Amino acid sequence: MSGKLGDRKNAICTESHNEAIVLIGKSLEDCPLDEDEDAFQGLGEEDEEIDQFNDDTFGSGAVDDDWQEAHERLAELEEKLPSAVNEQTGNGERDEMDLLGDHEENLAERLSKMVIENELEDPAIMRAVQTRPVLQPQPGSLNSSIWDGSEVLRRIRGPLLAQEMPTVSVLEYALPQRPPQGPEDDRDLSERALPRRSTSPVIGSPPVRAVPIGTPPKQVAVPSFNQQPVQSCSIDFPPPETSSWKGRPMWKVLCPKPVHVRPPVPPRFPAPYGERAPPDQLCGVPNSSLLGHPFPPSVPPVLSPLQRAQLLGGAQLQPGRMSPSQFARVPGFVGSPLAAMNPKLLQGRVRQMLPPAPGFRAFFSAPPPATPPPPQQHPPGPGPHLQNLRSQAPMFRPDTTHLHPQHRRLLHQRQQQSRNQHRNLNGAGDRGGHRSSHQDHIRKDPYANLMLQREKDWVSKIQMMQLQSTDPYLDDFYYQNYFEKLEKLSAAEEVQGDGPKKERTKLITPQVAKLEHTYKPVQFEGSLGKLTVSSVNNPRKMIDAVVTSRSEDDETKEKQVRDKRRKTLFIIEKTYSLLLDVEDYERRYLLSLEDERPALMDERKHKICCMYDNLRGKLPGQERPSDDHFVQIMCIRKGKRMVARILPFLSTEQAADILMTTARNLPFLIKKDAQDEVLPCLLSPFSLLLYHLPPVTVASLLQQLMSLPQGTAAPAPSNPHLSTVLQSKFGLSLLLVVLSRGEDLQSSDPASESAQSNPWTEVMFVATRELLRIPQTGLAKPISIPTNLVSLFSRYVDRQKLNLLETKLQKEEKGESMDILVQPCSE
Amino acid sequence: MNYMPGTASLIEDIDKKHLVLLRDGRTLIGFLRSIDQFANLVLHQTVERIHVGKKYGDIPRGIFVVRGENVVLLGEIDLEKESDTPLQQVSIEEILEEQRAEQQAKLEAEKLKVQALKDRGLSIPRADTLDEY
Repeated sequence: MSGKLGDRKNAICTESHNEAIVLIGKSLEDCPLDEDEDAFQGLGEEDEEIDQFNDDTFGSGAVDDDWQEAHERLAELEEKLPSAVNEQTGNGERDEMDLLGDHEENLAERLSKMVIENELEDPAIMRAVQTRPVLQPQPGSLNSSIWDGSEVLRRIRGPLLAQEMPTVSVLEYALPQRPPQGPEDDRDLSERALPRRSTSPVIGSPPVRAVPIGTPPKQVAVPSFNQQPVQSCSIDFPPPETSSWKGRPMWKVLCPKPVHVRPPVPPRFPAPYGERAPPDQLCGVPNSSLLGHPFPPSVPPVLSPLQRAQLLGGAQLQPGRMSPSQFARVPGFVGSPLAAMNPKLLQGRVRQMLPPAPGFRAFFSAPPPATPPPPQQHPPGPGPHLQNLRSQAPMFRPDTTHLHPQHRRLLHQRQQQSRNQHRNLNGAGDRGGHRSSHQDHIRKDPYANLMLQREKDWVSKIQMMQLQSTDPYLDDFYYQNYFEKLEKLSAAEEVQGDGPKKERTKLITPQVAKLEHTYKPVQFEGSLGKLTVSSVNNPRKMIDAVVTSRSEDDETKEKQVRDKRRKTLFIIEKTYSLLLDVEDYERRYLLSLEDERPALMDERKHKICCMYDNLRGKLPGQERPSDDHFVQIMCIRKGKRMVARILPFLSTEQAADILMTTARNLPFLIKKDAQDEVLPCLLSPFSLLLYHLPPVTVASLLQQLMSLPQGTAAPAPSNPHLSTVLQSKFGLSLLLVVLSRGEDLQSSDPASESAQSNPWTEVMFVATRELLRIPQTGLAKPISIPTNLVSLFSRYVDRQKLNLLETKLQKEEKGESMDILVQPCSE
Repeated sequence: MNYMPGTASLIEDIDKKHLVLLRDGRTLIGFLRSIDQFANLVLHQTVERIHVGKKYGDIPRGIFVVRGENVVLLGEIDLEKESDTPLQQVSIEEILEEQRAEQQAKLEAEKLKVQALKDRGLSIPRADTLDEY
């Protein structure tokens, strides 16, 4: 680029049309900054703000080139046949072109024409049909220096000027030509299946395959991509994808370029010249869209240039509005499909097209049916979606394109079924059916395996690397747990029945030893000091955040409350971590060695103690002062859940203590639980615990629960504690469980049967009295009703009262389980 | 070949038709040709599908390379069941028109709402988001 500029500068200087330019030219040569007071300086000062390298203003662009003129000349040129290449008017600019050589010059010219910023005004597009694209070299604005990369030009073989095709566009010349390959393409296509390069006469891009994605393969070639009718219409000329040619290796150029399709309606795409070639003219399809993208243009050329010219001739192609002249051309071996093609579109024209012109590769696929097919269309799609196929590809199935879509579909299904039967479905059976039809598609998909196996392996290798971990239980807890559960389930099933064991392939993640990486900042030898570079491993302190703790006096009551709550939350979190560790010990125990086990056990015990202390509020050297700490924890939902989880780990005394505290404060807790409704989760651990408690404890528990008056004190007129308890689901359930447990103890222990001074008995008398007293206001529905309540109550009350109790308790019940109370008691 | 059983890997999805939902709300349908470790996708024969009510329209787009972070979700399309849809396909122009109308209606509704709130002395602070929806 700089070379060119240099040349240009020279050119400028030599021409010296304008003094100013000369001066600038000179000043560019010399260092402008060093200019001393000369006549130049005046200019120099102005020039500092001006871009001195701007050719259009100061260079040849301003002087020699008139872009308007150039454009007009271009337009003119398009109309006549290009004359010989060598006819070039001498021009200083032309010197540059000599570098490129004759052939390449032409190409460069042609190529340069494509690089017009506004693609819609691209004359090549407009007139490509009629003209040969060889044009007089134009100086100035179409600066071919962009094509400087000689590599581009190297790839471009000699221009195909010799071809008689008037309709071949610029692009086509530019792309490398591959001689049409014969049947050898078969093997090629079936493996890597790179679509062969092809060009179209009009737009220089591979044929638009109007096959909607999903059209079933007619032959081997076309995978049914989709069954929808193609809808819209004209094709835009794809922006000259210069980059797509330049750097790419040869074979890549063969990839078809996507054709950008746009509807011909103004709202989105303004028609540049007002008129547009109605699609009708060209393909007779008012509303067809080219969903498809160029499907492998592997078929040998379809239309002879002449034929194509006929087809397209006369069409006024608007810039950027390419008529979608898509014509499917199915080469010889598919005879009948032509008939199947949409008559509206093609019949007349297609007949013209036989036989294919071998040397020409471009072709178009069949346009979709003219009328939008009914929305509910069956998968095989309408017949006319015919496509271009790979004539060379091996035919895996007979040509069914002439069949009715339904028929074809049934046929395929039958084929697939028979294929399935032969297939060995082992464990992958549920996907078998789907896969077979899918494999058909894959087989026929010429773009398949664009991603090589090697590349897939590479990606999965990276994914596996990401799964490496030293402690999978820590890093990937849920995954591990889930699969353990699954395995247990399948093991259980296996034990039950001996059906064939389903192979469940398991992902084995590599376990890597943990490496300690200590970060050492980069140091250069011989340098003084260290680099002050901060990176992710070595972060720099950005903000000085200082923690200031507030003094107690400043706080208002609200703040205190808030702080207290925060503290409670914090304690809950700490305790929860301990809990998780404790729960994990079992697994660790199994994994560990013999020697380590005692240590583990100790740790575990210690943690449990810590948990308990946290729960109850450890205050060294003191009695348990108050329930307050515990109650605070219990007010928080997470706290309740945590207590439920902790209970199994605690010793009996500790757990009993917790239970007592809960019972004591139950009304308050119930009130606080109104929103969360989490208390019932405590019921089962409590029930379990109760089975381990001695009768005395149960008795006192009952007392607490019902807030029964101690000793022989007169009962209070009302028992709000009890009413609250009874009104809550959890409370009532707990009460019933306690009663049931008491009854069990009573009945199981013959010695205490007779003893009257049994604490339990005493309590029970009081309890039943209370129960009878309590008004029947909205009792809750218990979670479960223990079955031994009848015998329980029958001990202490007579029939009359029993009925009362029964009715009371029955009120909350739907009725079934309380029927036990209806039975006459044997008193 | 069963790549990485028990995990979600896109390798097995290659060369199959997928529907991809992007963060900006676009729906793309195309054949998944290539992936990488960031779940960047290469879609082939892509079609952008615009849904408005019960109608939809397809705009062919060619080859898409989608940066992984912009994908909300993607799923394989069952080719056989693909056309069993209660939705009705319309032309591109029509669907764009419908979409425009829908946007318009939404804007109007929004305007009315803001106005109503303003009349009552309330205001909804503008959410400064990077995403468009």
